Amino acid sequence: MANKFTGIGSESKQLATWYFTFAAILFGAQLLFGLVAAIQYVMPGFLFEVVDFNVARMIHINALVVWMVFAMFGSVYYLLPDETGIETIGIKIGKLLYWIFVAAIVVVVLVYLLVQVGPATETTIWFINEGREYIEAPRWADWGIVVVALGFVANLWLTGMKGNRSGIVTVLMADMIAFAGLYLAGMFFTDSIVMDQYWWWWVIHLWVEATWEVFVGAIAAYGLITMIGASRKVVEMWLWIEVAMLFGSGILGIGHHYFWIGTPEYWWEIGALFSALEPLPLVAMFIHVMYDWGKQQGKQNASGESVSVINNKPAFLWFWMNAFGNFLGAGIWGFFHTLPQVNLYTHGTQFTSAHGHLAFFGAYATILIGMMYIAVQGKNGIKILKHTKSSIWAVSMIVGGVMGMTIALTIAGYVQVLVSRAQMGATWAGYFDGQQGVWFAQAMDWRLLMGVITFLGFVFLVKDLLSTGKNPVHER
Amino acid sequence: MANKSVWSDNRFWQRSAAWVTGFAAVLLIWLTFDTMGQISMGTDADLQSGVTKRVPGPTVINYKISYEMSTKRGLEVPVIGEKEKFFGRDDYSEKEARALLHLGKLGSQAKNCMNCHTLLGNGAYYAPDLTKAWLDPAWQDGGTMQAMTGKSTKEEAMAEFLQHPSTYPTHSRMMPNLGITAEEAKGLVAFLKHMSSIDTNGFPRNFGRMQGAVNGK
Amino acid sequence: MFEQFTDVVPSFFGWLNQGPMTLTIFLHTIIVLPMIWIYKQEKARLEQEG
Repeated sequence: MANKFTGIGSESKQLATWYFTFAAILFGAQLLFGLVAAIQYVMPGFLFEVVDFNVARMIHINALVVWMVFAMFGSVYYLLPDETGIETIGIKIGKLLYWIFVAAIVVVVLVYLLVQVGPATETTIWFINEGREYIEAPRWADWGIVVVALGFVANLWLTGMKGNRSGIVTVLMADMIAFAGLYLAGMFFTDSIVMDQYWWWWVIHLWVEATWEVFVGAIAAYGLITMIGASRKVVEMWLWIEVAMLFGSGILGIGHHYFWIGTPEYWWEIGALFSALEPLPLVAMFIHVMYDWGKQQGKQNASGESVSVINNKPAFLWFWMNAFGNFLGAGIWGFFHTLPQVNLYTHGTQFTSAHGHLAFFGAYATILIGMMYIAVQGKNGIKILKHTKSSIWAVSMIVGGVMGMTIALTIAGYVQVLVSRAQMGATWAGYFDGQQGVWFAQAMDWRLLMGVITFLGFVFLVKDLLSTGKNPVHER
Repeated sequence: MANKSVWSDNRFWQRSAAWVTGFAAVLLIWLTFDTMGQISMGTDADLQSGVTKRVPGPTVINYKISYEMSTKRGLEVPVIGEKEKFFGRDDYSEKEARALLHLGKLGSQAKNCMNCHTLLGNGAYYAPDLTKAWLDPAWQDGGTMQAMTGKSTKEEAMAEFLQHPSTYPTHSRMMPNLGITAEEAKGLVAFLKHMSSIDTNGFPRNFGRMQGAVNGK
Repeated sequence: MFEQFTDVVPSFFGWLNQGPMTLTIFLHTIIVLPMIWIYKQEKARLEQEG
C-alpha cells in the first residue's frame, strides 16, 4: 500500500516542496551563524562590534525555530492528500501565505543583521527585535506569523473535515491549533521579568516539549505507514498512547522552568516528577519504530521474500535517528538536569546548551529531514529510494557532528557547574574563572570542530536532496 | 464475550489521551492563576510596611538589598533593608521608579541582553548571569569595577560600564558597545537592582559567598 | 512526614506540597485515576459489540 500517491499533480505536495526548500535554506543559515558564534567562543575578537555574539546567536536560534516551522507546515501539506484522500482545501491561499511568510522572514533577518539593536523604546520592540530568546521576531512579524499560522490551520481543518479524517489527521488538527494559539502567549510586553519569563515558557516549553513532540508522533506514524507499510490500526493506537503520555507529562512538565524565576516553591515538585516522566513516551516511540519495522520485515521474510520492506532508505534512516535521537537528546540529556536539586547548579550553564543541541536535532531536525526525503521520492515518482554516497556521508557527518558538539558542551557544562557555580558562587569573576578552565577552553575548540563537520554534512545533504531524484540507482 | 482487550483498543486510548490532555491543561491554568497572584509586583505600601513579596514593587530601588540564608526555608532569600541612595536619591516615588523600571526592562529587550547573558538563568551562556548582578562583589565599594570606572558608587559604576563597555574590559571576551545612553543605563541599573530583589527560591546558590576562594583555597 | 509550610505565600497548592512528593503524587493520581472509568466503559462497549 505504500506510496499510493506519487505526489505528482498534487498542488498540496507541490507547496510542501516549496516549504521544504526554504526550510533547507534557513537550516543552512542556522548552521552558518552557529559557526560564527562558536568561533567567537574560541576567538572573542572575531567580528567584534560587526556581528556580535548576540546577533549571531539570535539568528542561529531564530533560523532554527523558523526552518522547523517551515518544514512542519511542509510536512502537513505533504501528507494531507494521502491521509484525507482529497486535495488540500484553500491551497491557493496557502501558496500566497507561503510567499508572505518567506518575505517576512527575509525582512526580519536583514533587520537583525543590519540594524541589530535599537533604543529602549516600544518602537524597537515593534520593528527591530523583541529581545526574548527564540521569539525575538519584532511585533509586526508576530502578527504576520499569526495570520500565516491561522491560514495554515484553517486549510488543515477544512481539509480534515471534508476528507477522510484519519487518526493522524485528527491529532494534527488538535495539535496545530494549540501550536498556533500558544504563540499568542509570547506577544505582549511587561515590566516584570518574572511575568515575562512565566509566559515566555508557555510558548517555548509548550511548543517543544508538548505540541511539537505530538507533531513528531503523528509524522512518525505517517512515515511508518508510508515507508514500511505498517498497519494503520496499530500505528494509530500507538499514536494515541503517545499523545496521552506526551501531553500527560509535558504540559505540567513546564514546572521545571519555574524553579528559579520567582515562582512559588510548589513548582519544584510538579516540575520534577512530571518532567522526569517526559522521557517515557520517547522510549515508547523508539520501541514503536523498532517493533513495527521488525514486524513488517518478519512478515515479509516469512512469505519467502527476503528483500527489505523499506521503500525509502535515507528517509527511514532519518526517522530511525529521530526515534533514537529524541530519546537520547530530549529524554536522557533532559533528565540529566531536570531535578531541582541538580538544576540549582546546572541552570543557565552549557548543560542546557548541550541538551538544546541534541534535543532540537534528535527530536525535530532528523524527522523533518526524513520528510524531505519522502517528498523527493514522491516528487520524482520513485518506487524505492536508495542510499547514495552523499546521503550516507550526510547522515554520518551531521549525526557525528551534533553528537560531538553535545559531548563537548556537556564537558564545558561540568566545568561551569563545578568552578563557576559550586566553587565560585556564580559571580561575574566566578563566571570567567570557569570560562578560562582548560577543559572548558578545549571543549569549545572541539565544539567548533564538530560544528564544521556538521556543516560539511549539511552540504552533502543539500547536494543529495537536489540530485538524488534524478539518480538512476533508484527503482521506479 | 470480548476476545479483544481494552488495552489494544484505539478508542480507549483516544479517549484517555483526550482526558489526560484536557485535564492537565485545566490544572496548568488553575496553577497559573495561583502563581499569578503570588508573582504580581508589590507596591510601595508593601515595602514601607515590611510585607514580603516574591516580586517587590519598583520602589525597592530606594532600599538596600542583600541576599541571606533563611534557616526557615533552607535557602538564600533577598532581604530588603534600610534606605539606600540610588543615583543620589532614596525617595523615588512609585511613578518615577516604575518609569525607570519600564525603561530598563524595555532596554534589556531592545539591546538583546538575553542573547549573551542569562536573566533569572534564562538566555545565552556567553556572559555572566545577571540575576543577582546588583549584589556582585565586583561592583561593591572596594570592588574592582568602581576603581576601574573611576566612580564612587555601585550604580554609577554600572551605568558607566554599560555606556562604554569595551573601554573597561574584564576578559578577552568583551561586551560590545550597544549605543546605551546615560538615561537608558540608569533604567537598566534600576532593572538589575529590582531583579536582585526577586525571590528566586535560592538561585543562584551561595552567590558571592565564595569571594576570594580560588582553586579551592 | 508533614513539614511546616515555608513558602512565602500560603495557597492551596502550597498546602498540598507538605512533604516528599505529596503534591505531585496527588496531581498524577487525579490525572490517571479517571482512566479506570474510561476503561470500564470501553470494556462494556467491547463486550456488547462482541
